[in-house]
Amino acid sequence: MAAVQGDATDEMLMVRYQRGERKAFVELVRRHNRSIYNFVLRQLRVPSVAEDVTQDVFMRLVQNAAEFKHEARFLTWLYTIARNLCIDQLRKLSHRRHASLDQPARDSADHTGTQLLGDTISDPGPHASAERNALSSEVRSSIVKAVDSLPDDQREVFLLREVASLPFRDIAEITGVSENTVKSRMRYALDRLKDALSDFEEYARALR
Amino acid sequence: MDCEKFDRIVLDLLYDELDELTTAAAKRHMEHCARCRAIGSGLRATREVGALPLVEPPEGLELRILQAEEQAAQLLPINKRLGRGLSLLAGYAMRPQVSMAAVLMLVIGSSLFFLRTQPGDREHVLVTERGVPENDNEIVTVRPKKADAPEPSRIAAHATASPLREDGAPRRDRAAEAKAPAAPAAPPQAYAAAPAAEAARGATSLGAAADDKDVEGSEANADPDATYDAAMAAYRDGRYSEAQRRFDEIANQGGAHAANAALYGAQALRRVSGCPTAAPRFEEVRARYGGSVGSDAAWQAADCYRSLGELSRARQNYELLAADPSYKARAKEAIAELDQRVADQELAARRASAAAASPAAAPAAKGKPAAAKPATSSK
Repeated sequence: MAAVQGDATDEMLMVRYQRGERKAFVELVRRHNRSIYNFVLRQLRVPSVAEDVTQDVFMRLVQNAAEFKHEARFLTWLYTIARNLCIDQLRKLSHRRHASLDQPARDSADHTGTQLLGDTISDPGPHASAERNALSSEVRSSIVKAVDSLPDDQREVFLLREVASLPFRDIAEITGVSENTVKSRMRYALDRLKDALSDFEEYARALR
Repeated sequence: MDCEKFDRIVLDLLYDELDELTTAAAKRHMEHCARCRAIGSGLRATREVGALPLVEPPEGLELRILQAEEQAAQLLPINKRLGRGLSLLAGYAMRPQVSMAAVLMLVIGSSLFFLRTQPGDREHVLVTERGVPENDNEIVTVRPKKADAPEPSRIAAHATASPLREDGAPRRDRAAEAKAPAAPAAPPQAYAAAPAAEAARGATSLGAAADDKDVEGSEANADPDATYDAAMAAYRDGRYSEAQRRFDEIANQGGAHAANAALYGAQALRRVSGCPTAAPRFEEVRARYGGSVGSDAAWQAADCYRSLGELSRARQNYELLAADPSYKARAKEAIAELDQRVADQELAARRASAAAASPAAAPAAKGKPAAAKPATSSK
């Protein structure tokens, strides 16, 4: 059964969960709780809040399971829920936000169990991977800081693209803007990151 | 590809969302365009350097989510829970194996239902000679089927009219047998004696016998069925002389009704003149028609001879009937009864002769011959 569920698409698992199969829901949580948590964490930048919101995302999934149509994309639906909850939470936090909020995020980035996003979206060789894992905490902090400093709309698109690995078409659907707007925001986000991380560009060339 | 188009697709190129042809075209453009090559390589380097480190979710988050889901499922409204249950059942029901099994069960079930209920609520059904269901407390007479005519015969209820159902014997299918004597080579001499003029006169007076409406309508056309019905009506009404005449006419004319008409004619003759006259007629019918009609006639003849005390002739007819499966049992019983009767007669005769030899025994033997006297009732 586990093998079958491992081969099943998210949409198939969701349909099974609609029929009452709890194992399908367990598999969905196992597949997506990490990326959802990272998306929420980078949006809200408070680990404890991100943890609660991640749980809320899956509870919204449970409550609205009957509304899911099997022809829809599960990830689009799931990240739409996550984005809406993040927006609600940001509104609540907006008046309390201050500089010290960034500190826990940096602490989280320093966690020894972290994995570079580049490992999942590119295919570097073993040598490059080893080299990349050797990046200093200063580099990691700089990356996190650069992402956090992006404007909200650009950061949102950047995270959906890099963390959730969603195509631009789906991101456009989630954010409610055109695909060209999404690409434009992504382009601006990458340009800003390029400027922020220019010191490390030579290092990146050395890895190739 | 030009630089403007490259700017539009550069992000798709970066994230491998382009088709192969466009990707190849973009790469060819980058080879000879320094600006676009710089943009492409810059974005790729930024993406690699700016790879966001993923954080592992806190320990226990997954467990907490699953526990929360379990609690939420318990708090689901009953209608949503029912909906999920139905959806689950429907999911199983839509599987091909289940669907095929359901269809198979439906076919078997409906077949059993119809097989069980089709014959009605009776355990067995009595039918007439033509396969028509018969009422339980009704004795029926059957108008023989017209040769080569598939329509079912009409059934007339009458308590005593049928000589074909004596002793409640099972009916036999006489439909085929009725066809066999349909065209007699020559009418029996007794039947031939009926004058044609009398037949014509009898035909004009049939309206009086018509409690059967069909008879009235069809008599003028000399319909064989109507003629037979008229004769049967006369028989049922107790007008045995008329019935005999009509039956004899039908038998003489031949046709599908001839055999049964001959049998009924002999039966009517028995009513009119008694067994001394009717017994030979029954034997003639038996000899002429054979089959089931012949067996019926033989039974009647044997009955007549037995009532007349002509036990040897009665026995001859019973022995003939012993070869007929439908009369076999009854015929054997009758033969045994006759044998016993003969034995009793012989015993009585011996006693009578002994009494005659001994004067003292004479008074005792005086009543014995009376016991051997045959029954006189012949009607």
